[in-house]
Amino acid sequence: MTPTTTPPTTAPVAEVPARRRRFSRRVREASLGYALVLPSLLVFGTFIFYPFFKNFYLGLYRNPPFPNLPRKWVGFEQYSDILTSSDFYNSVKVTVLFALYTVPVGIALGLFLAMLAHQRLRGIAIYRTIFSSSIATSVAVASVIFGTLMNPRVGLLPWLGLDPQPPILQNPTWALVAVSVTTVWQNLGLSFILMSSGLQSIPDDLLEAAEVDGAGPWSRFRSVTLPLLSPTIFFAVVVGTIFAFQSFGQIDLLTEGGPLDRTNVLTYAIFTELRERNDPGAAAVLAIALFGITLLLTVIQMRVLERRVFYAR
Amino acid sequence: MGRVAIQGVTKRFGDVTAVDHLTLEVADQEFLVLLGPSGCGKSTALRMIAGLDEPTEGVIEIGARVVNDVEAKDRDVAMVFQSYALYPHMSVRRNIEFPLRSRRVDRDERQQLVEEAAGMLGLDTLLDRKPAQLSGGQRQRVALARAIVRRPQVFLMDEPLSNLDAKLRVQTRAELVELHRRVTTTVIYVTHDQVEAMTMGDRIAILNDGLLQQVGPPQDVYERPTNLFVARFIGNPPMNTVTGKVVRADGGRHAVAVPGGEIAVKPEIGKALDRLALAEVVAGIRPEHLELGADGPIEATVSVVESLGHERHVFCRLTDGQPVIVRQQAAEAAPAEQTPARLTFDDANLHLFDPTTERRVEA
Repeated sequence: MTPTTTPPTTAPVAEVPARRRRFSRRVREASLGYALVLPSLLVFGTFIFYPFFKNFYLGLYRNPPFPNLPRKWVGFEQYSDILTSSDFYNSVKVTVLFALYTVPVGIALGLFLAMLAHQRLRGIAIYRTIFSSSIATSVAVASVIFGTLMNPRVGLLPWLGLDPQPPILQNPTWALVAVSVTTVWQNLGLSFILMSSGLQSIPDDLLEAAEVDGAGPWSRFRSVTLPLLSPTIFFAVVVGTIFAFQSFGQIDLLTEGGPLDRTNVLTYAIFTELRERNDPGAAAVLAIALFGITLLLTVIQMRVLERRVFYAR
Repeated sequence: MGRVAIQGVTKRFGDVTAVDHLTLEVADQEFLVLLGPSGCGKSTALRMIAGLDEPTEGVIEIGARVVNDVEAKDRDVAMVFQSYALYPHMSVRRNIEFPLRSRRVDRDERQQLVEEAAGMLGLDTLLDRKPAQLSGGQRQRVALARAIVRRPQVFLMDEPLSNLDAKLRVQTRAELVELHRRVTTTVIYVTHDQVEAMTMGDRIAILNDGLLQQVGPPQDVYERPTNLFVARFIGNPPMNTVTGKVVRADGGRHAVAVPGGEIAVKPEIGKALDRLALAEVVAGIRPEHLELGADGPIEATVSVVESLGHERHVFCRLTDGQPVIVRQQAAEAAPAEQTPARLTFDDANLHLFDPTTERRVEA
């Protein structure tokens, strides 16, 4: 480097007069933050928080059996009445059974199909499309398909020469199972896609290493695939349970809560209170109960199941 | 017996032939390196030995039995993957133990074998960690421990050092050779790194485009490359190769006319040139066998001098502009850049190749 002949000149520092601000920097940043959150807060407030609290409030009033009479403040009396009733107990039982019938079976079937489709075979893409196709059907479509399949007069059963008495959907023992089968089928596409994406995230190397290490197919599945799939399965269990607790369409279309309330899940009970008995108070109490149960279950799942989940870093 | 015999093995993926009629025998306790550029089929060959890929044609024997129809899990081989393929949800202990559990080794023996393997690789203090908590070098050692723990007939290693940094790679190279001496098991080691191949292998097998080019001890391969591909692939900096016309010099001796001079050829090689009726030939000479001097048969210009501390690479150009590299020891006098120079060498170090078949011209 050759030395420069002119010494470097320092630029004159302009004297910026410190402007007096009314608020400190922290307050200004915080207000900007709140301003940015405000739009979503408004949307959530209007459609989630307000109805939620309003619901709670509605439960404190008892509605008269006839319209146009004033409702009556009863405080928590209505809560305790409903939450201790045998109808409520039955609905909770049915809902839990419904979740137990649909969630594990749905995940297991989805995983099974995903394992089948997770092969490098010519034309396997066709099967992937078929296996995931039920995701494109709505609850209504699934219900109509299975309603027809299980109809004693048209469809599969007469063709097979079967005429079960009472018909499946009116059979107190089998109605819930029938609704569950419909639900499993309808959710299978989603379950398949979830499990497939989980399988794809497992490096081939690991399974090949296990193979060379002497592990047979079952051992590879149990020792490598399943643990590495556990985050996906956990997610599917939590979301699947929430879905199951909120299922309504298939019940409404297939059994309307019957026979003998054997398919009267909580959502359907809420619907009945509100639309058929015109009792928003009772419906509100049931809705709050459904919220509470779902929340509780999710927390339990997070606490208990998640301990067994391996998250790769 | 950890002998591996590969006979006429071919692997095709659709129209692509990854391995083409490979025949190779690996002796018990030998360290054989499969060397070649990426995509040459070396990994596919290894995977076929492991049982992860099925050969399209040919026979693979491990020990005394043909294993074509034997599943990977029953072949009694262990493999170290490039990615190490450690089970991320298992502790180091469980990782090393896995092959033993798969084979239903009882608990006490398992524990003893795991500790032995871990001790051999310096993993004693890391047994309860998960792979994510280990450094690259430690993971690599876990992968090795998992491979040696059940004393398989053959170790297969697929570029096990390529994910390590340069310094660790040099160190691990030596450790692997030591490990091989201790466990005395056959090793088949795949790499694209010729330095690894030269330093580790009892023998090297060089593959290109799925075809086996040459098999032999490293020094033999280095000194007598069987074709131009091997000549150029082995050695760093690579062998200088120049195409020239075969001419008769004074006294009837054969010579190769290259830009800037003539290279005299030994009489017995001359006869071979006559026998093959070659008009042109590729002359090859390794950089360390070339010398710069005031006199020498070939005229050149020094273009760039690179100093590596212990040695120097002198980049020269022949009269037609072709590059030639000369390797000098640091103690020798460094030439000035952009000055003329003459190149000389001992004709014992000259390699000649047929330009069409690319095969070595032998006396």
